[in-house]
Amino acid sequence: MIELLELCGYGEQEIESELPRVEKAFNKLGITVDDIERGKQRLNKYYDMELKGVRKALRLILRELVDALLVRDEGVKNVIYGFMAPGFDLLSSALVTKSKDVFSIHHSWAFQIFIGCIFGKIVPILEEAERKWLKAGMVAHCANLKTLVGPLTLGLYPKPDLLVTTGLLCETSPKTIDLFHELYDIPVWYVDACQDRTSGEYPEPSERVAISAAKSLKRLAERIQEVVGFEITDDMLLEVQDAKGKMGEAFDRIRDLIATSAPLPLSPAHENIWMCLNVLALSINGITEATDAVNLLYEELRERVAKGLGVVEKDAPRVLATLPMGQTDPRLEHLACEVGIAIVATDRNIEASIKEIPEDPYLRFGIGMQLGAMHVPPTMRIPLLIEGCKKLNIDGVLDRFHVGCRAVAGDALLIDNAIKKELGIPVMLLEWENFDPRVYKHEEYKKRLEIFKTMMLANKQK
Amino acid sequence: MQEERLAIHLKERPSQLLEAKNKGVKIIGYFPGNYVPEELIYASGAVPLCLINGGDSKPAEMALSVVPQVICPFARAQVGERLLGKNPYYSMIDMLVAPITCQHLKKVAEVWEYNGDLEIFKLGIPHQHNNDFELEYFNDRLRALKDRLQAFTGNEITDEKISEAIVLYNRMRELLKNISLLRCTSPSLLSSLDFVKLNHASFYADPAFMVDYLDSVYHELKDKQQVTKTETPKILLIGPSIGYGDYEVLQLVKAAGGDIVIEEICEGVRYYWNKVESKGDLIESLAREYLVDRVPCAFMRYSTRKRLDFALKLIKDFAVSGVIWYELLCCETYDAESYFFSQELGDRNIPMLILESDYSAANTGQFRTRIEAFIEILRGVME
Repeated sequence: MIELLELCGYGEQEIESELPRVEKAFNKLGITVDDIERGKQRLNKYYDMELKGVRKALRLILRELVDALLVRDEGVKNVIYGFMAPGFDLLSSALVTKSKDVFSIHHSWAFQIFIGCIFGKIVPILEEAERKWLKAGMVAHCANLKTLVGPLTLGLYPKPDLLVTTGLLCETSPKTIDLFHELYDIPVWYVDACQDRTSGEYPEPSERVAISAAKSLKRLAERIQEVVGFEITDDMLLEVQDAKGKMGEAFDRIRDLIATSAPLPLSPAHENIWMCLNVLALSINGITEATDAVNLLYEELRERVAKGLGVVEKDAPRVLATLPMGQTDPRLEHLACEVGIAIVATDRNIEASIKEIPEDPYLRFGIGMQLGAMHVPPTMRIPLLIEGCKKLNIDGVLDRFHVGCRAVAGDALLIDNAIKKELGIPVMLLEWENFDPRVYKHEEYKKRLEIFKTMMLANKQK
Repeated sequence: MQEERLAIHLKERPSQLLEAKNKGVKIIGYFPGNYVPEELIYASGAVPLCLINGGDSKPAEMALSVVPQVICPFARAQVGERLLGKNPYYSMIDMLVAPITCQHLKKVAEVWEYNGDLEIFKLGIPHQHNNDFELEYFNDRLRALKDRLQAFTGNEITDEKISEAIVLYNRMRELLKNISLLRCTSPSLLSSLDFVKLNHASFYADPAFMVDYLDSVYHELKDKQQVTKTETPKILLIGPSIGYGDYEVLQLVKAAGGDIVIEEICEGVRYYWNKVESKGDLIESLAREYLVDRVPCAFMRYSTRKRLDFALKLIKDFAVSGVIWYELLCCETYDAESYFFSQELGDRNIPMLILESDYSAANTGQFRTRIEAFIEILRGVME
């Protein structure tokens, strides 16, 4: 256990003070000595553990996982969970900064990284959800939701005082929390906005959609105020926004470095660690710690780049992947590196630019949710992807479609056709589940990635 | 005789519409689900057409060149019909009003928008209405739709025209409801299959013709009505949209000796149960009725309990012995909700059969066996 904590960036004194808590939390999760051994092996295999920035980031994630599991035991008064809830992290950080009596998190992210990516034990959790209302099979329920349903119905996580989701791109999540309300008597809340922009309105964000989303988020803040008993002021949110802005800039620097360096300095398997850091409900101090970790990693990567070191050959074909990296399983991204493919970016980080970012935190959310390539209709998404490919000098697109998500999976074939037609570069279409390691088929993926690489290299020589 | 009258009308309808189109009348398609007020389209002088074909695997498979299989077969069928270009209704529309309801139909609208060969108006449907601004949003979108329709057709939409349209469609819904309620006491008067076909016909037929036709059907059935005690198990059908042509389950239930006496589907109760208020601010009336007052579809927030309560009321009022839950493959909200319904109905000793269709002919054998077994169970319960 101590070795694991050291790998995850815990210092000597912290290990001494935190060990009993971590052990208690792991006992709740059924993590055994063998699991810890496997976890260490997987960390060393799939992640760059010599990078201190990676370790520091993992430390923050593990800390949140432990806190989440012990929150009721340790007497925290109000527990609020968000799920698939952009905007929620802003409110959460404001809450936990203001009061130690409140614990407010989007808990699945930390859970997915540790139980899925590191311990490789997510499948029993998914199966538990499948025994409830998210059955397995062709219906293709999103395994992300299964990582909410499984732990809660197994009683791994304490019952929250409020469970929040959005229906911005998903119907399963709202229906799931509706069922939590009906079957487990958990109070729930939804943030919504209509996704009814039409082609004449792209790429500008729609004011009416932004205002409606902002109002909906504001109502959530009011509902949370009822739960926690204190006001969430705009100043609190602006302070979080400011701190998160600095963290965002730090992420951008890393992304730019990765996207523009050859050889690729870091395996794409790490991307979900950054995603997770971004949504942890960190207090202002926690956000500063996270920003320091990201800045440290940036310096470490810059050093690598200066020395010409990387995780693939210098002339490896450059790939843009759709969707974030596997969130419970790092094997595909690791395999891509082994085959010699440099996944330099994902469409999660491609978004439309806007002239002015509003100061109002609620309106900023309303605008922000209309910009990302993953969150907009194909009429806007595909031109953004094409532009991104050109800008990043991409040799091929890994067009993964997460079958659990109709919103993003529905575009996969259109993207495939458009990229081939407009850019003439190879596209590898991959039916995929971002949160379910059972879809991973090593030999098949290896062969397909090798062929994809050959196609890209041949195409480059034309 | 009655059926023949409707059959002739439906046969001639495409050519009538094409003739009208050639004279400048706009044909405006919309997706089903009960969130697009057809009254507004009608009031603009355009012809509203609900695009509701389904049940045939060919269009759904055709669509697989554009959208993956995780999009439900009904939504894929809409994409496929347009790609195949053989269905005159799908080819003749000048504009589509696409309600942003579930992710599946939203994706169809986005694919059609991407293809760029059709004017599209996306009608934002707030997925909840417990906050005042949500109904307000829908109101505003209906006003925007009104403006767009006026510009598109060149016709002014007056309150008088909206009111006339509301009265006409209210009458249609009232007649459908009256006909449906006759089945409460006399299930043998009209099978579910025939009733759903009537309802489907109302989406393509001329509304004035349809009102006249439904009126005569209602009076004919009412004259034949007699309260009978039947040994046939009465069944409630619950599901999302049943496409025009998606009749396999209805046929199999009939053949197995069951009577579906009421349908809690988009083309059933949810369509005709309520009327729109035809006085006051008419856009507000439409917004309230379509968003707030109707039985919600499963994708709506906080809908599960409301939908269960309504189903329990139907079960009681129609003396139903069992529920057939008919869902389409990959329809995640209905599938998740089926778990809750089966538990709740199980607690009340009401048998429930879940059927999941991908429009494939391969369904038939297993559906038949399961439906026959289910009806046997219901008979056992009735004894």
